[in-house]
Amino acid sequence: MARYVTRRVMLSIITLWLICTIVFVIVSVLPGNVGRQLAGPFAPPETVDQINERLGTDDPLLTQYVRLLKNTVTFDFGDSFQQNRPVSEVLGDAFWRSAKLVVLALIMTIPLAVSAGVFAARRRDKLADRSVVTLGLASSSIPDFVSGVVLAYIFGVLLGWFPVRAQAPDDAGIATQVRHLFLPALALVIVYFGYIARITRAGMIKALDSDYTRTATMKGLPNRQILHRHVLRNGLQPTVAVIGIQIGYLFGSLVALERIFSYPGIGSTIFNAASRKDIPVLQASVILVGIIYMLTTLAADLTIAWMNPRARVVTADT
Amino acid sequence: MDYRAFDRARRQVGPLELDLVESYAKGILPRREFVRRATVIGLSIPFISAIITACGSDDDGGGSAGTSGGTGTQPAATGAGTPGGTIRVASQRPAGPLDPVAMQDLGSYGIIAQSFEFLCTLGDNDIAPGLAESWSPNDDGSVWTFNLRQGVKWQDGSDFTSADVAATMDRMVAAGNSGLKGVIEAGAVDASDPNVAVFTLASPNGNFPYLVSVYNAQSCITPAAYETGTTLDASPNGTGPFKLESYDAATGATFVRNDTWWGGTPSLDGSEYLFFDELGAMVTTTSAGEADAIVQFQVIGGDALFNDSNFTVLAFQAATHRQIWMRCDTGQFADKLVRQALAFTFDRDQMVQTLFQGRADVANDHVIAPFYPFFYDGTPQRTRDVEKAKSLLQEAGVATPLRATLHFGQPFQEIPQLAQIIQVGAQEAGFELELAGESLDTFYGAQWCPETPADPPCSGAAELGIVDYGHRATPDVYLNAAVATNGIWNSSQYSSEEFDAAFQEYQTAVGVEAQTAACEKIQTVLNEDVPVGLPYFYNYLSGHSNKFQGVRVSALGQMFLDQASQV
Repeated sequence: MARYVTRRVMLSIITLWLICTIVFVIVSVLPGNVGRQLAGPFAPPETVDQINERLGTDDPLLTQYVRLLKNTVTFDFGDSFQQNRPVSEVLGDAFWRSAKLVVLALIMTIPLAVSAGVFAARRRDKLADRSVVTLGLASSSIPDFVSGVVLAYIFGVLLGWFPVRAQAPDDAGIATQVRHLFLPALALVIVYFGYIARITRAGMIKALDSDYTRTATMKGLPNRQILHRHVLRNGLQPTVAVIGIQIGYLFGSLVALERIFSYPGIGSTIFNAASRKDIPVLQASVILVGIIYMLTTLAADLTIAWMNPRARVVTADT
Repeated sequence: MDYRAFDRARRQVGPLELDLVESYAKGILPRREFVRRATVIGLSIPFISAIITACGSDDDGGGSAGTSGGTGTQPAATGAGTPGGTIRVASQRPAGPLDPVAMQDLGSYGIIAQSFEFLCTLGDNDIAPGLAESWSPNDDGSVWTFNLRQGVKWQDGSDFTSADVAATMDRMVAAGNSGLKGVIEAGAVDASDPNVAVFTLASPNGNFPYLVSVYNAQSCITPAAYETGTTLDASPNGTGPFKLESYDAATGATFVRNDTWWGGTPSLDGSEYLFFDELGAMVTTTSAGEADAIVQFQVIGGDALFNDSNFTVLAFQAATHRQIWMRCDTGQFADKLVRQALAFTFDRDQMVQTLFQGRADVANDHVIAPFYPFFYDGTPQRTRDVEKAKSLLQEAGVATPLRATLHFGQPFQEIPQLAQIIQVGAQEAGFELELAGESLDTFYGAQWCPETPADPPCSGAAELGIVDYGHRATPDVYLNAAVATNGIWNSSQYSSEEFDAAFQEYQTAVGVEAQTAACEKIQTVLNEDVPVGLPYFYNYLSGHSNKFQGVRVSALGQMFLDQASQV
């Protein structure tokens, strides 16, 4: 297990370096002059040059690249060009907000989707199974920004049941915050329910058809015990892997939804930083999403390895 | 007309004021415009009343107060309203730090205007006394004297004086502020009397009060000790009716009432600004009742507010417009016949109806909006004429279809739809336009006005594109930056001695008659040369819930809440 973990961590470091390099290249080719953007269109060229010099945006590309790597190691990206406060503060707030939305969406999605997947697998090819599969396919084909707009209009504007602005007041309690986040979280549920339910169903069907399940049945174990001890433990491994990947994906895919519901999370932060050429925030936020993606994938792999010792042996040998 | 009373009144004023008074007496200016202009050049209300009485005119010039010229208020409130309460305002997120000198976006303008004030503030018709109680020009409009309001305190308790005005202006000059560029130089303000600020201009300017008013958002007066780069949230010390209590660039800002405000105690306890990235989300939130007022919205996507009987829409004429620039120095549009041909394909009425449901004024390929008092209404209106466009292309010897790329930034309000309308409309005449919508950063940085080559400015611009211009109380910036030779936003690379001479004539003209005469030349030459196609000027839209009254807005994203109260 230790060898497996070490190998995964080394791979993660290489992935992180690749992310940094890609982010640097993308940011470097963005058009526009940071100093001009900050100083305004009428500012004298000397002022623009001074700002660029102060921010280091006129340094040679190699110097800027090395600085990015150093910043990534220390996770100290300095101050935001646009907000005049440390990037760590800007990102900390944004990450925390997005995390709340993602966690709520997962709390709503996982029990629902896993239950539906298990339910469908146990009633394979029957009406219930087909209903779950069809519903899942239909819901996951609706982009979150479409369902988000529809939900906001129906439940926010027409019925007035939920706020259309996901950001709750500063002094709001947990219940109020959940109420504000409910509609965007529901939009995510609609997208991810079908995907997780279908993966769960497939994994469960495979486990139900496996030799060890047949052996357990032949041994005369009660169905409940077979399900919990043998089928779920093996059948849910793909689900765990998918959820792990989806958590990272969720953080990086919130841009549209956060803008629809005016929620200043990590997605909005990336969008605004890119459009306003706030390089430190853009670099740090993309790298942060990359790290989240890596960590959640790693956590999923470790969980699967813990659930199924064969997985870590196979991975370690390859 | 009561000639004796009129003569008595006109003897009290200098040449600049006299020109205005005589324009009104001759019927050149309607009463409404006379009041507007008289306020701008600092004539007192009793004097204005005396002139109107002497002339005995019953002409009201059309329209009701607050419907044109970039100001909007709801109808006069009846009753004082219920004291207290907090209004929640949906606003664009400030694009950068709340630096009063360097800010460039409506989101920042709105926040800054809650705490900082201007020498000339928003009036019912136009501008009104703010931190300056009165102002007056010398004979030729080259020196303007502003008598400052006494007893005004900064929110930290210190006195407001002319030294603050002088320091603010010096900071603006150093920053190259668009409105004051070339108008004043460093040290232009004489602050020897703490209650009087005397501005010596680089050249005469009859519109100068506009440049130190709400319509030049960066001209808000900040303390003398306010160094360049200081932000409102770092140093919340204005003179205005509300004090900044908290600010989060991501979520919003809260303001509380300034009980020591010179204008009296505001009725509201405070305001809460909610920040948004999308106008659509602002409309949705306001429709759902989660915001009480919206700083700005668009016709497209604004139906929910237009149809809400519990919502008051504040709509008024503004100079906000789009310019379809065409390179005059090189490429396929260098021949003015080709530029004219494209302009003849614009179906302006259709654009106004389709994009704004009629809430816009048809424009005529020049930047003088119809509500400016010096607008010349004799320029023949260009209308869609496909046959004329075809014959112009033929005359120019251009092979059709003429293929070109129309660049624009997106997403940006109605501009992508405008591009499509232009594309379809031009096709019939022989233009084959490819639409190139790009991110705003790419568009501004690579197509509209690239940094390089820097001399002349914008000489790296694309040959054809659509760019947005916000409201200005006077057209100086449009003329100076977009179409004057070597203007800093001259993406069409237009250069015309005739236009430059007319512009210079306009700038030095200090009376309405002289300005109108100059504008006639400007309009004629721009309409003829078409360096920019200009199809419409659209109305500024804002509004608030009927739970509140007395909300006033400018067309620059500023919402004035000093007179607002709960119903």
